Amino acid sequence: MGIVLDGVDYAVMGRPILQGISLALDEPRIGIVGRNGSGKTTLLRLIAGLVAPTTGRVAVDGIDPARDRKGVLRRLGILFQNPDHQILFPTVAEELAFGLRQMGQEARAAEAAVMRLLEAEGRAHWAGSATSTLSQGQKQYLCLQAVLMMEPGTILLDEPFAALDLPTRARMARRLSSLAQRLVTISHDPEAVVGCDRVIWIEAGRVFADGTANEVLPAFQDAMQRLGAGDADIDIAG
Amino acid sequence: MLTLTSPVETRLHRLPAGGKLAVLCLFSAGLFLLRSPVWLALCLAVVALLHLTGGRDLAWRGLGALRILWPFVVIVTLWHGWTGALVEGTAIILRMLAAVAAANLVTMTTRLSDMIDVLSRVMRPIAPVLPPRRLALAVALVIRFVPVLSARVGQIVDAHRARSPRRRPGWRVLAPAALAALDDADRVAEALRARGGAG
Repeated sequence: MGIVLDGVDYAVMGRPILQGISLALDEPRIGIVGRNGSGKTTLLRLIAGLVAPTTGRVAVDGIDPARDRKGVLRRLGILFQNPDHQILFPTVAEELAFGLRQMGQEARAAEAAVMRLLEAEGRAHWAGSATSTLSQGQKQYLCLQAVLMMEPGTILLDEPFAALDLPTRARMARRLSSLAQRLVTISHDPEAVVGCDRVIWIEAGRVFADGTANEVLPAFQDAMQRLGAGDADIDIAG
Repeated sequence: MLTLTSPVETRLHRLPAGGKLAVLCLFSAGLFLLRSPVWLALCLAVVALLHLTGGRDLAWRGLGALRILWPFVVIVTLWHGWTGALVEGTAIILRMLAAVAAANLVTMTTRLSDMIDVLSRVMRPIAPVLPPRRLALAVALVIRFVPVLSARVGQIVDAHRARSPRRRPGWRVLAPAALAALDDADRVAEALRARGGAG
């Protein structure tokens, strides 16, 4: 079980983004690192079923995430990089209830579950608040709670710390590490995946390295520093 | 427009949303049947009194919300002053103030989700074409993304001003703002799909 990618290619209008990806992911904490533009976000979108592979097969606990949307909702949640692209509702309570309603719960039951959660988190006064008035860290927290409401077995995190200041980042890291769910974290920052059981390094659309954090991260860091010492921004994609 | 619902709970908040909207409809229609400024002034007084039952804060906010009407008041006054039809002019201004103030009062004292419930009930006959849940989602998305888009326009205006001697870029932000809105819409569509779609 877990997440399986089998010979996956993904191309946009003939331009390859990912090539020959075959992975079986079932560790509790998985990190995916790579430079901007390496294809790591596309990999996340493939796993989440937001796009379908051009060739090859993706399976989450045996189901196709792009086809069986209902089935994948219970298995997999995704936290996007920018909370403003994720929050769909004007108030906190509506945002949290949406996922439950999507999974077929009645409005009343969903509302009650939301209130229980907010009370347990000591944030009952948030219920009627406008989501647009929350701080960046609070928005990120809300997005995480909205994902957790749906009780998925796996959560995909896209640069979860990118927009957070240091205290918020520490709180978020603590919160994430306490979760029972399998976490797949993608980041350009090795710091964000340092405690992972397995780290995969994506470079130019392919798996470049795959192993424990101790095996992969020092080499990744070295390579990034070498690139940084040179003139890294000359090439234009396409 | 986002904080239209007053956070201070008043007696008016507890009345059913459907009832309030029905009364509002009848009241507004009635305003158009009345011609005499005296009767219209009385209507406005009733609306003002209803505001006051919700406390001084609510009444102040209601008054503040009427400020956007001043250009219309000026134009109507000038026009009717010029044509010498001051009685008709007064009637028009009173009618406008009473109608907008009454609508504001209902908005301020009704939760958005209750408003959407009423809307879904009223729209039920066309449910096969437009499912009520989808309608409700559309209303919520509009309200959610007004501040997001206006912040986005603000960023574009700032980016323009940072590299231009013009103080206000004016129409020049239209194209980048429209493209940014489309880009945001794509991402939001994806987030919606990640949580089960518009279904």
